[in-house]
Amino acid sequence: MEKDEGQEYLRSLLNKDIRILITDGRIFRGAFKCTDQHQNVVLAQTFEYRQPSTQQREAAAAAAEVAGRSPATLTMDLTSRYLGLVVVPGHHIIKMELEQFASQVRNAPAATVI
Amino acid sequence: MADFGIGVPDELARLSLGNGAEQQASRAPDMNSAGIVAVDITDRFSLAVKTLEPGELVKDEFFTLFESVGALEIMDPKMDSGCIKPGDEFEELYDVRQPLLPEEVLGIIDQLICHEMSWHLGYPLSQTLFTSVYVEALSMPNPVGIEQAIFVRDPKDKSNDQPMLQVLRAYCLGLLKACGYVNERVRAEHSYEEEDFVTNTYNRTLLANVPTDAIRAAITEAKGLLQKLRSDSGHSYRAEVIDALEVRLELRDIFLQATECPQYIKEPNLAQIPWQQGISLLPALKSTHHLCKPVDDSFSAKLQRKLASTIPPRPIVQLGFDDAFENLTRLFQDGLEIIGVLQYTDTQCLQACVSALQSKKPQPLVYVRTLLQTFLFDAMEVLGSMSIRQLIDDDLSIITLPASPLLDRANDEIEVVHDPRFIVSQQMEFFRQRAAQPFLDILRTLCQNRCRVRRTLCHTVRAWDNLQVDAEEVDQVVQAQLKESPLSHMFLDATQHADSLPLSLSSWAYFYKLRQMEWIVQLGFELEVYQGDELAGMYWYLNYLAKCRLRHLERIKSFTVRRAEEIRALKTHENVYAGLQTRQLERSLSFVRLSLLDAAATWELSDALSCLYTVLGRLGLVKPPGRPYSNDEFRYELRMKPFASIGLPELPSFEDFTAGTKQPGTSTDDILEYCERSLMGAKRAFETMTRLPPAESFSVGSHERWLGTAKNALKSCIAAGLVVKTIQVALRKREKADLKFKVEIPTPDKAYHDWWLIPKLTPLP
Repeated sequence: MEKDEGQEYLRSLLNKDIRILITDGRIFRGAFKCTDQHQNVVLAQTFEYRQPSTQQREAAAAAAEVAGRSPATLTMDLTSRYLGLVVVPGHHIIKMELEQFASQVRNAPAATVI
Repeated sequence: MADFGIGVPDELARLSLGNGAEQQASRAPDMNSAGIVAVDITDRFSLAVKTLEPGELVKDEFFTLFESVGALEIMDPKMDSGCIKPGDEFEELYDVRQPLLPEEVLGIIDQLICHEMSWHLGYPLSQTLFTSVYVEALSMPNPVGIEQAIFVRDPKDKSNDQPMLQVLRAYCLGLLKACGYVNERVRAEHSYEEEDFVTNTYNRTLLANVPTDAIRAAITEAKGLLQKLRSDSGHSYRAEVIDALEVRLELRDIFLQATECPQYIKEPNLAQIPWQQGISLLPALKSTHHLCKPVDDSFSAKLQRKLASTIPPRPIVQLGFDDAFENLTRLFQDGLEIIGVLQYTDTQCLQACVSALQSKKPQPLVYVRTLLQTFLFDAMEVLGSMSIRQLIDDDLSIITLPASPLLDRANDEIEVVHDPRFIVSQQMEFFRQRAAQPFLDILRTLCQNRCRVRRTLCHTVRAWDNLQVDAEEVDQVVQAQLKESPLSHMFLDATQHADSLPLSLSSWAYFYKLRQMEWIVQLGFELEVYQGDELAGMYWYLNYLAKCRLRHLERIKSFTVRRAEEIRALKTHENVYAGLQTRQLERSLSFVRLSLLDAAATWELSDALSCLYTVLGRLGLVKPPGRPYSNDEFRYELRMKPFASIGLPELPSFEDFTAGTKQPGTSTDDILEYCERSLMGAKRAFETMTRLPPAESFSVGSHERWLGTAKNALKSCIAAGLVVKTIQVALRKREKADLKFKVEIPTPDKAYHDWWLIPKLTPLP
């Protein structure tokens, strides 16, 4: 990628809502504000989303079984909390996603679940 | 009758934005919203950033690097509260369902008591009560009614029915509700978050939605359970443990009632009941503590992650039970004592009472201090029933306006605009409006922590300086209307006008200003503001202020005496108010007498101590520490900063200060002799003071404390006398050799009196 192209691309992402999956499985969602060569990313108005713990999964599976539903198709809410302004260090980033309105995406939508 | 603050906070808590539960969680966008698609940009992004130079940034132009300093660094264990060490669990795994032994419930409760007291002492809830899994289970999600406030949020779950868990639940409910009241009280009044108390509840409501009655019913129910257990032989619980649990539930109930005591502001006897009951119950709490079996697992620092705070978990505060118990005892005792201020006698007794309470060591807890503020100022009324006008008029009539036509309420009835009484009434109203704030500020200031008291006084003293100027204008208008005659009296210097007008209002303001200036210096001693070698100078300045107050009081006295003579000259049948007026004048005269004694004692003792420290300085026994960047003049300027802007009394020049402190023309022997004489004078004054009955010492309601303080000052005089003697003897024996003493200046907590620091001399071998 050329330098100009790279910068322009990054600049086009500024203030867009971004989702970042990090090494410990958490997802951060916030407005993209800043980045550098090491891919350290600053997000504003960030929420943290955490996958349910093993214990919670088991409890939910047990509950589903009692209710007579199949635990295989179980959906669980991610636990979330508000963090505000955060820096995500580049070396912890596993995956990044850009949020777009479905109506504005011309191509077929990519996978929605990380 | 209005409910003083009780019930209202509940309503407000529900309205308030900062306190509503789950306000931010509800805004969290859904990750699986239908209208939004997430496009993977991982590869493109990482390629793009590689084109950047080292140190080069791509950033939003409104985003400043300054802001970025405040950003949380994810995965940094010191900043990121969600960061988990490998092998550790994010959630606390303790199960609130598990059955508990009565001893264990006792252990948890006593630990909660320690945490509650830590919170009262200034630690945040996050590191104290909110580390309990049981507290967490009751608070989150926020229960909307008592039936939801159960450990396992499933009404069908049988574990909720275990008697021991029900006892613990009732205790926790009472605890949280009481904390809610305490928090609202502290929030509603004036205190300093950084210094006194953390009111942050991290988005927890502290059961604001659960009515107190329901909680008290739950406590009663739990007590009933315990009683049933006692008569039931089908278990192996020890009776003494069951008793201990009941004591704790009872105390919880009592404390809840105590937090509601402001509603009895007009019936102090009723308000005192829960505090008294609490005090009588406390010994039983302490004596059963040894039965506890601690359950440390039920407290976890990890719970802090669930709070609305981005701070990573901090360690749990560990306060020992004995310390906690001592503070709890103090809370109840001080709580009971402050209700004493509701027994109003007069403004001076009130001030004495408040100031005696606040100078207690250790100072009453923040909650007690804010409760005192509620009593004093709630609903624009003082002590729940007095208007500010009543208070100011009462004070004026004690100090400078006894039996004065200026305070006659009948003046308000006059509607003829040219009538002098109309003008007087108008002027007085203007003055009251002007004086109300500074006057109430004195009481309000006294309710703060000691450091703040001094700091705030430095500001209020300036307000009083301005008030004095305004008062003088009012005085002149009023004087012209009433044609007050000047008084030729003997206390004025020949240089001043032989005739003098009473200037009652400004002289009232001047009196308060002087007193506050003295307090500032005295609190400086109490708070260890000054270093050893500065004491001579600061006592010298205190002496200067006391001298001013004494002269001023003599002036006030001469007018009061004249007024008394005037009233006496009137025939009784001509004056229907004679009885009332005589009483007021007598009260004024006793106040002047007390103040004269106090000012004289302060004058003499500060004079003596200034001399003593001067001598110690001369003998090289108190040495200045090395101060490479300071000199005496700069330091003088610094110490006198609060007083520099005050017009009257004028700030002594640095030269006068140096001459007064160093006394260059006087020999050490003479200084010591003079010092001895001053100490005798001070001793006599303090002795006379200690013999005054409560009414004449204006300490009704706090006489014991007041007497204790006066006696401690007397002890200081005696101790100072001994020091002077020791030095005199040593000087006489001395043959060219240096004096061999070690001088130790006690810290205020080791001195007899916080304001009188008497050096301790230990002979060196």
